[in-house]
Amino acid sequence: MAKSKGKRKRRNDSLVLQLMILVAIVLVVFEGKFVVTMVTHRASTSGTQSAGSKEEGTTADGTETEIQQDKDLASVSAADGNSDFSVLAGLPSGKGTVTKQQETEATYPTVSNPDSAAIVKEAATPVDDFYFSDAVFIGDSRMQGFQNASGITQGTFFTSVGMSLATMQSEAVIPTSEGNVTVAAALSGGNYGKVYIMLGTNDLGEYDWDSFKEGFISCTKRFQEIQPNAIFYICSVIYVEESKITSGSSYVTNANVDKINSILLGICESEGYHYLDLNEILSNGYGSLIEGASSDGVHVYEKYCRQMLTYMKSHYVTADDGSADSGEESETAESETETVAEKNK
Amino acid sequence: MKKLTAVICTAMMAISLTACGGNTKEVSVDPDKLAEELLTTVTSDDLSKSTMDLSTIYFYDANNVNSAVAYASSGTTSCEVAVVESKDASETADVEKNFKTRVENQKNLYASYNAEEAGRLDDAIIKSAGKYTVLCVCDDTDKANEILKENGF
Repeated sequence: MAKSKGKRKRRNDSLVLQLMILVAIVLVVFEGKFVVTMVTHRASTSGTQSAGSKEEGTTADGTETEIQQDKDLASVSAADGNSDFSVLAGLPSGKGTVTKQQETEATYPTVSNPDSAAIVKEAATPVDDFYFSDAVFIGDSRMQGFQNASGITQGTFFTSVGMSLATMQSEAVIPTSEGNVTVAAALSGGNYGKVYIMLGTNDLGEYDWDSFKEGFISCTKRFQEIQPNAIFYICSVIYVEESKITSGSSYVTNANVDKINSILLGICESEGYHYLDLNEILSNGYGSLIEGASSDGVHVYEKYCRQMLTYMKSHYVTADDGSADSGEESETAESETETVAEKNK
Repeated sequence: MKKLTAVICTAMMAISLTACGGNTKEVSVDPDKLAEELLTTVTSDDLSKSTMDLSTIYFYDANNVNSAVAYASSGTTSCEVAVVESKDASETADVEKNFKTRVENQKNLYASYNAEEAGRLDDAIIKSAGKYTVLCVCDDTDKANEILKENGF
């Protein structure tokens, strides 16, 4: 009796042991799977999160390098207390964040027709200041700024703050030793080999573009009559930094700069003038002036004026390429020459 | 006694008149250094040293000028600083006249373009001492006048 009791107890013990082993196996198997699931789930979640964070950066390509680049950009903007990436020199802000991929592919065209033969190409050998000794520079405050800050030592400047097409056509705004005269009258006071014109910023509000085109051609033709042997260079209107323009000039936009530049390039093509695309060096790559190049968004600092001079020295045409029409001088030109000659007596 | 008083009075008047004629003062300044000092009164703009022949900008007679230095804006403001050393003190009146014409022209142009800058030109300083003539369009005219006073203007 006692033996059978002992046998039953041993059988119960082994049953409990077997049950415990079974539970343990079950636990190991299922918990293991759970752990594996947990790990894989976390991994996939973190992957999704990083992709999501990059969505904000407008890219879907989730390489580790780019994540780091985005972090770098964010830290730069955070340092300046700016939520946008606006502190990146030469890159746009506000309108949307810029990915690294976009940065390297900044190809916003600065000209409406990049293949135009009127665009002056870079020469193999740059000229020195002497090239400008027989040049006359006509233009607005931006050209005046170029005169003051580029380091140029040669040339004659007929500039006036606020000069527009209407001013250039007929107003006596060019100071001379004999008083103020019109651009045409000033131009007829000498013989020039090159004429550089930088105009258009003060005409950005002129939405009658056909009228602008007509007036510009009429004016430059008149100048050509006065200086029939000169090479005519038309400078592009330099881009602006719209966010800095506070004068209430809502029309001073880069869209209008593009528009007026396409007209100027068209004029160069039809009239045989030479187009200097200064935005080639002053654009931020997105159709705007390089950020930090100007305090008021329009007039560029000395550093950029110097770059413009360097550009002009390496972008020129020879007299043979010039469009100078050696036609007879018009009566208008002759009368203007007489006017200045009389004034200088 | 009356004669003595008259002589003394005449002498005093002569001395006073001489003192008023600033250009006859014995003043010697380094135009570059003075221009640099005056440059500190321009705080709203970074002026650049002009590399052009300044007689083509200010229209003075280059034959009557020893040296000239000018700092001008790249277009943002109407600020400018110019110091001209004439060959003779008697020439400074002409340089002053040219500076005044320059300021008037700039004022007229800025009037329709940027009224604030036209206002700044109202406070333009044009002064001569000895052979030197100064034009200073700046932000701190008090400081500019102080600098000029220290230099004998």
